[in-house]
Amino acid sequence: MLDILGFPFMQRALVAGIIVGVLLAALGVYVVVRKMAFFGDGIAHASLAGIALGLLVGFAPLPVAVVYAVAVALAIYWFEQNTKLNSDTIIGIFFTASMALGVVLMSLIPGFQPELISFLFGNILSISTSDVVTVSILAAIILTWLLIFKKQLTYISLDKDSAKISGINTTLHNILFYVALAISVVLGVKILGIILVSALLLIPAATSRLLTSTFNGFFWTAIVASTLCVILGLLLSFFLNAPSGATIILVSTAAFFIVALVTKISRT
Amino acid sequence: MPSPHHKHVHEISVEHLDVGYDGNVILSDLSFTIPKGSITAIIGPNGSGKSTLMKAMLGLIPFDKGKVTISGHSVKDTYGKIGYVPQRFDVDQSFPITVREFLELALKHKEHSERIKEVLGEVGLNPITVGRMQIGALSGGQMQRVLIARAIMTDPDILFLDEPATGIDVAGEQSIFELLEHLQNDHATTIVMISHEVNVIEKHVDNVICLNRGLVCSGPPAKALSNKVMKELYGDHYERHDHKH
Repeated sequence: MLDILGFPFMQRALVAGIIVGVLLAALGVYVVVRKMAFFGDGIAHASLAGIALGLLVGFAPLPVAVVYAVAVALAIYWFEQNTKLNSDTIIGIFFTASMALGVVLMSLIPGFQPELISFLFGNILSISTSDVVTVSILAAIILTWLLIFKKQLTYISLDKDSAKISGINTTLHNILFYVALAISVVLGVKILGIILVSALLLIPAATSRLLTSTFNGFFWTAIVASTLCVILGLLLSFFLNAPSGATIILVSTAAFFIVALVTKISRT
Repeated sequence: MPSPHHKHVHEISVEHLDVGYDGNVILSDLSFTIPKGSITAIIGPNGSGKSTLMKAMLGLIPFDKGKVTISGHSVKDTYGKIGYVPQRFDVDQSFPITVREFLELALKHKEHSERIKEVLGEVGLNPITVGRMQIGALSGGQMQRVLIARAIMTDPDILFLDEPATGIDVAGEQSIFELLEHLQNDHATTIVMISHEVNVIEKHVDNVICLNRGLVCSGPPAKALSNKVMKELYGDHYERHDHKH
């Protein structure tokens, strides 16, 4: 079984998959407690416009999608702070408008675009060395910020007013959280696809929520669960010759249902 | 913990404050002073602007006109020296966090387990058993005490509380007021609270601010809360009760 680790594409897939899995699970913990599930889905779908724009102008689609997603995340934040509209409505507008823009831009690209399809459904096995480097650098920056300011972000997520009065710069940390989330979702799009990426943001955190009673336990268990599901899902997809992103999500979902069932039985 | 002698005792000044929302005036031309080291209650009927006033004083919502100063400084300059106890319903009790982790949020450094024990004891909670509980498993009275504990973790100069006794039984309410008096006397903390319990606060506070969109009265309760003022605030149906605890 370890033979497959000898393949360079598999090594790249595992490294990138684990890094993105850790990143999405760590941020996913805050997505779950802040009830922001739709944000991840919205940003993932909005990134289609960035990907299509990159392909249209002949530039690497991933960096263009990252920049576009960050711009959309900041716009969502601005509208949340400066209008009476609720977050779901604002995300829905940007989600659909960006999808529409993506469809129009795609129609301008001549011929079949296999890369576009790989972004829709993800293709972890097509990850290049430069993709691994990009993912590693961005993930290192985001995780370093998150670990340094974990307490502040937790305080803001639980009780924003008290956090602000205690002297925490809540505006800055909220903006950084939105930016980090947008970047991480787009990094996940390359692996899991636009349609499935938000699953890795939610399912490991939801599984961990069922297992733990402390916030620290919740945070670290989500990361461990996500890492295990990425590794198991990737190996299974190789042996079953199944799509890797979808297999990772199905493994995560199976783990969630098993944990939900076991915790329910153990409490009765 | 620093002794009360090292603490700055602040006077809070509100001058010509106007607060509006969406074109509607909520508070108009409000001016008053909260004496240093006092316990002050903001009272008024529902919709009188009590929470809006506290949020404006804390710099949590913008105001159209006027200024709020704490010993001559803007409120934002005193962040970190203020404790705030929100209404317990404003804190998501489904958040997966233990009481101990919840209190650690207020501390700058992690190595303060002694301080957590000390403060939980001060608010009348068992540091061992309650410290391990999830905040979602706490009763209303316990949660209120945990919120106060978090607000006093850093021994603030000023403590703001938004309806600390709401939903608490009479005995619980009494012990919360005793705790506030202890903070005032032993920690030299200036305390500002919103309260609905008009009959109770008369016995425990030094100063009242009565609101009904504008300022109706301010000063020591015995002087400020005349029958005329109470009728202006709560209408003809208001009755004064003498609570004995």
